[in-house]
Amino acid sequence: MVGIEYITLIETLLQYFFVVGLSPLFAGIFHRAKSIIESKKGPSIFQPYYDLAKLLKKETLKPSGSGIIFIYAPYVAFGIYSLISIIIPVLIPAPIYFTASADFLGGAIMFSLAAFVKVAAAMGSNSNYSALGVSRMLSFNFLSEGTLITVFFAVSLITATNNPYTTNHFLAANPLQNISIVHIFSTLAFFMLFLYETGKLPLESAGLQELGMIDEAANYEYSGKLLAINKWNSYIKQYLLGSVLLNVFLVPWGLSAASPWFLLDIPVMFAKWLLLIGIVLVVETTLAKLRLFRVLDYLATAFTFSILFLIFTEVIV
Amino acid sequence: MSTFVEELLFPLSSLILVTAFYMQGQEFIRPMIRGQLVQSILLAVISVMMGIITGDAASIILAALLVVLRGFLITYFLEKGIMKSQVHLHEKHVSVAYLFLISLIFVLTAVLIVYSVVFSGIRTESITGNQGILVFPLALFFQGLFLIASRRTTYAQIMGYIEEENAIVLFAVFLLPIPLLIEASVFLDVLALVVISSVVVVEKFTHERVVELRG
Repeated sequence: MVGIEYITLIETLLQYFFVVGLSPLFAGIFHRAKSIIESKKGPSIFQPYYDLAKLLKKETLKPSGSGIIFIYAPYVAFGIYSLISIIIPVLIPAPIYFTASADFLGGAIMFSLAAFVKVAAAMGSNSNYSALGVSRMLSFNFLSEGTLITVFFAVSLITATNNPYTTNHFLAANPLQNISIVHIFSTLAFFMLFLYETGKLPLESAGLQELGMIDEAANYEYSGKLLAINKWNSYIKQYLLGSVLLNVFLVPWGLSAASPWFLLDIPVMFAKWLLLIGIVLVVETTLAKLRLFRVLDYLATAFTFSILFLIFTEVIV
Repeated sequence: MSTFVEELLFPLSSLILVTAFYMQGQEFIRPMIRGQLVQSILLAVISVMMGIITGDAASIILAALLVVLRGFLITYFLEKGIMKSQVHLHEKHVSVAYLFLISLIFVLTAVLIVYSVVFSGIRTESITGNQGILVFPLALFFQGLFLIASRRTTYAQIMGYIEEENAIVLFAVFLLPIPLLIEASVFLDVLALVVISSVVVVEKFTHERVVELRG
């Protein structure tokens, strides 16, 4: 019994440090691969680490008139993402410590909470650019949050439970369920949401260009250590959403919780992420850049898919 | 074999609804016509499958008629109306988000109607044994009506009309035996869709809301 708990502890620590420590690496691999496709040399895959190290050493400037939320929000968001990283199956496919803290819907609500904290901090910075970006972000988020919660809600209907681990096991054990029309719909909706939430849509300028930025605007007034933490948060968020997409929707196979095979989960997750990066790259580099107001149409499509999926789950029995 | 075919009916019906959403959110005329083509072909496939399940030759003939009339003739005449220089012909001010959200409400209404009326009131005999499949024709019918109501282009309105016709055919093939409605529908295809649509589309591109009321 003690041995089992010992393994669970190791698995918990492994999952946490894997997520927090290696999430910038996946962002680095993505940028490097994208540059190669665009016929550029591109930065090193470790560039996100260099950026974080540089920012952590820099002085933090606080805009005049900004409140206490502005300073502490990045830490709070980091805490929220840390908790999410040990309650959903992003590496180990069996319950670990803290898994019982929340279910699928709870995880979705914590993502929303982190987004709220980020918005509150950006509004507290007293910057017009931040306010502009936040207002854009919120006018789109009402559909994206709806999609996120609907997809999670609908997934639970397949297995009659809101536990992502059960869903993962069920889909891994029943391969035919993965090609059912309801599952395909939900995967599509979640994939579209993943592209939006991680700023991979070909209609958002990733740089700090005022006309195109949505997500970057919330970081506009941040500098130094706080900016580093915010960037780290976005890397972790990208990893978490991507891993849920991979482990629950796209490729639920290949992970093991038995000792010592759980160590093999690390290369398996790497392989899965390379697959996801490949898919995202194809989408991002082949679609033409769209106009900003089209985000709403895009998210409405994702929302429609998720609701249709919900209805079909009920109708197709 | 027939169980597998029956299993396939639901995904195919779902895809028909997806094509309806595609047409609803489409600004450009030509892709919308192609959407109609895909929808009609899917409908023909369903009809063939029903023919296999029931062993009824009428369903197979219906499928052939659908392919010829909607898949080929209507698509040909509608596309013929678009000049070569007008390949980017489209309707302006199409708000996809708004249209999709309203369409979703229509789908939900269809589900409510089927579950409250068909399940508890009228006992219809659906071939699949699962009357939930009747949601798809009803939802498609609402989609067709909404496409007519929400657009000003004659093309889009004709597409809406075809969608309604498709909904009626879809509803009818799920009932046994194939009713007279289908024969009327085929007659309408020839008369209204092929003949009238090819004239109307060329004569008048858009139908504005007030223009008909002017003296």
